[in-house]
Amino acid sequence: MFRNQYDTDCVTWSPAGRIHQIEYAMEAVKQGSAAVGLKSKKYVVLATLKRAASELSAYQRKVFKIDDHMGIAISGLTADGRVLSRYMRRECINHSFVYDSPLSVGRLVLQVADKAQVCTQRSWKRPYGVGLLVGGYDKTGPHLYYNCPSGNYYEYKAHAMGARSQAAKTYLERKFETFDDATLEELIKHALFSLKESCTDGELNSKNCSVSVVGLDTPFDILEGDTLKPHIDALDAEDAGAMETDTAPAAPAADAPTDEAAPPEAEEPPAAMES
Amino acid sequence: MSSIGTGYDLTTTTFSPDGKIFQVDYAQKAIDNSGTAIGIRCKDGVVLGVEKLVISKMLVEGSNRRIFSCDLHAGIATSGLAADGRQIVNRARAEAANFKNFFGDAIPGEVLCDRIASYKHLFTLYGTRPYGVGTLLAVYDEEGPQLYQIEASGVGMRYFGTAVGKGRQGAKTEIERLKLSEMTCREGVLAVAKIIYQVHDDAKDKAFELELSWVCDESQRRHERVPADLHATAETAAKAALEDDDDD
Amino acid sequence: MIPAPQKHSYALGPGVVAPAMHPEYGRAIQELNNVNYPKAGGQPFVVDAGHGVGGPHQHTQYPYVTGTSVLALKYKDGIMVACDTLGSYGSTKRYKSMERMKPVGKFTLIGASGEYSDFHYIMKLLDELTTDDYCHDDGQNLTPTEIYNYLTRVMYNRRNKFDPLWNSLVVGGFHNGESFLGTVGMVGTCYTDSHVATGFGAHLARPLFREKQYDDMSEDEARALLEDGLRVCYYRDKNSINKFQIAKVTAEGSTISEPYALITEWGYEAFVNPAAAAVGTW
Repeated sequence: MFRNQYDTDCVTWSPAGRIHQIEYAMEAVKQGSAAVGLKSKKYVVLATLKRAASELSAYQRKVFKIDDHMGIAISGLTADGRVLSRYMRRECINHSFVYDSPLSVGRLVLQVADKAQVCTQRSWKRPYGVGLLVGGYDKTGPHLYYNCPSGNYYEYKAHAMGARSQAAKTYLERKFETFDDATLEELIKHALFSLKESCTDGELNSKNCSVSVVGLDTPFDILEGDTLKPHIDALDAEDAGAMETDTAPAAPAADAPTDEAAPPEAEEPPAAMES
Repeated sequence: MSSIGTGYDLTTTTFSPDGKIFQVDYAQKAIDNSGTAIGIRCKDGVVLGVEKLVISKMLVEGSNRRIFSCDLHAGIATSGLAADGRQIVNRARAEAANFKNFFGDAIPGEVLCDRIASYKHLFTLYGTRPYGVGTLLAVYDEEGPQLYQIEASGVGMRYFGTAVGKGRQGAKTEIERLKLSEMTCREGVLAVAKIIYQVHDDAKDKAFELELSWVCDESQRRHERVPADLHATAETAAKAALEDDDDD
Repeated sequence: MIPAPQKHSYALGPGVVAPAMHPEYGRAIQELNNVNYPKAGGQPFVVDAGHGVGGPHQHTQYPYVTGTSVLALKYKDGIMVACDTLGSYGSTKRYKSMERMKPVGKFTLIGASGEYSDFHYIMKLLDELTTDDYCHDDGQNLTPTEIYNYLTRVMYNRRNKFDPLWNSLVVGGFHNGESFLGTVGMVGTCYTDSHVATGFGAHLARPLFREKQYDDMSEDEARALLEDGLRVCYYRDKNSINKFQIAKVTAEGSTISEPYALITEWGYEAFVNPAAAAVGTW
């Protein structure tokens, strides 16, 4: 009967000093399909795997343009993501109206995070069930942020979120030190390669995938369908060549448990709780 | 502590029969599990230091700060839930701006501490949860340099030196050994860095970043990050001291 | 616990205090509309009587202590701004040492003519923004263009509330190797140019600037030209005094000079009998 009294709302601390509702909301991010983000000194690339509800339906959009200098990829509850993207768009427009300059990526992310925190401390609210990868380019260069339902945010050089994202993360962790001087093409290639690791059946095509770029003198742009096809083709070609050598032993086996199964209580306290 | 399962620990609006509000204790627990934050008051200013645990090597260095300025002359180090901590900082900034707007002068440390404490206290009164943040507040005003600590319960007190978070016990013992009243902030920075490295638990948490800030005469009584060269010196000295200890 | 007033309310736009927080709006609108007569009898104390009975604000329709023209131009190393230090109370030369130029951050300078207390208010708004930048400590500070644009929004927004800030402002700055110069009026009129001037200066000094100013002029040339402008303004503007400050913003930051006087010559023929050369005047 008293299985867990502490996990039904976000205004109750557990005796261990955790808030289970926030942790559950973070689980919602893991239910969404994967999204990866990475950056060089000039560009930020976001790439996402899209799902279709049925054979007859279109693929669900996961990348949204916020402004000419910024865009987001979402994972988790799409509806929550849309609310936040609308908020971000409004903030950007207000800022350019008042200051005639693009809004700093870091400051907007901070505002979004503060907004998310409020939802973790009111009895009549629930945390957002969506993770955001925010990519943007401003006065201080390219930035990649991850916004979490807990109200935490992190600035990354490369990051992956969503279902089976651990596999993509492992790829990125192996390669991210080389990203700094990478060209835009190379970045896109790395994004697609890492995304491939998170793919359910290994099938990555120009329909179930979309890539966005933003950077120095490069306004935010989404590549999908025909514009993405050349990149996918190039990837397949390279893949065929490299198959025997390295990519194969990637990681999925080792990481599978973190994504599926394992009730949240049994897990390590997530990082978000920590700090 | 017979709190679990009694039903007296589910909301902040419930006292237990022996007069405790367990939700506040639980919030304190979140702080006690987090990276250590240290503050010391030296003769010419205050130094804050934070052990910021790093969850991924792909994070950008220096991002995700735990020490914030809330006005030119006041800074806050937080321990506990970072997201909660930022709300406290936002409130502190608003209070500081409000005070300056109304009275035309920078907010005194005592007042700012009081305002933050009241704000935290509010969240122990209603159907919300208490903030899971320990706050160290460093201010340099007309009265001189001051250090305050504000707890999750809404208690705010002034200190010569204090620590919150995981390594607070060890850190406090080390701080007590310092001769704070004879120390300059330059020396204080070295001491704080050394203590943070000392209390860091290598077995449990691997990577961490050291964050240091000060508000002192040398910084024109402004709260700012410790200059890069001094930060580097302090970090090297702390690492060296740690290795010496290991050798013994 | 009083919530902090939101200086930059989204609902009302930049530079406007939310109604509940503003002593004027809050009291005047909510209470004085159904005027609170003192319980002991007698008349209520009302600052702006017309407003108390449902009429429009009237006390915002006059400036009290005002400053006159501000002149500014671009030169080789940045921008230079100049004005006198007089605060006029109507036609009375009431205050003679008022600084009408103030730095904002490291690379921007504001010069103001018009209501002095409104200028204080504007500086308060900008100080809050720069403090905010300081607190964020992310290397992103307001640039001259951003400050200029912010002020155009503030001034225009206030005039749309029929409660204008009674100033003409000059915004000058130097950032990333480029100098910036612009001006904003009390109703939100604004433009940028290589040389600008407010008030009388726009008519008296700018013709000189149009002839002689060029963006590559040396500091000495710029100073001489500005002083010519100041002198001509002083000759013809009764609300000015011979006590000036010159400020400049360059790559090194902004500096404002101590006040000083110019050498003037009042013996010109035209000054003795000003109408003689102008047919049709008296």
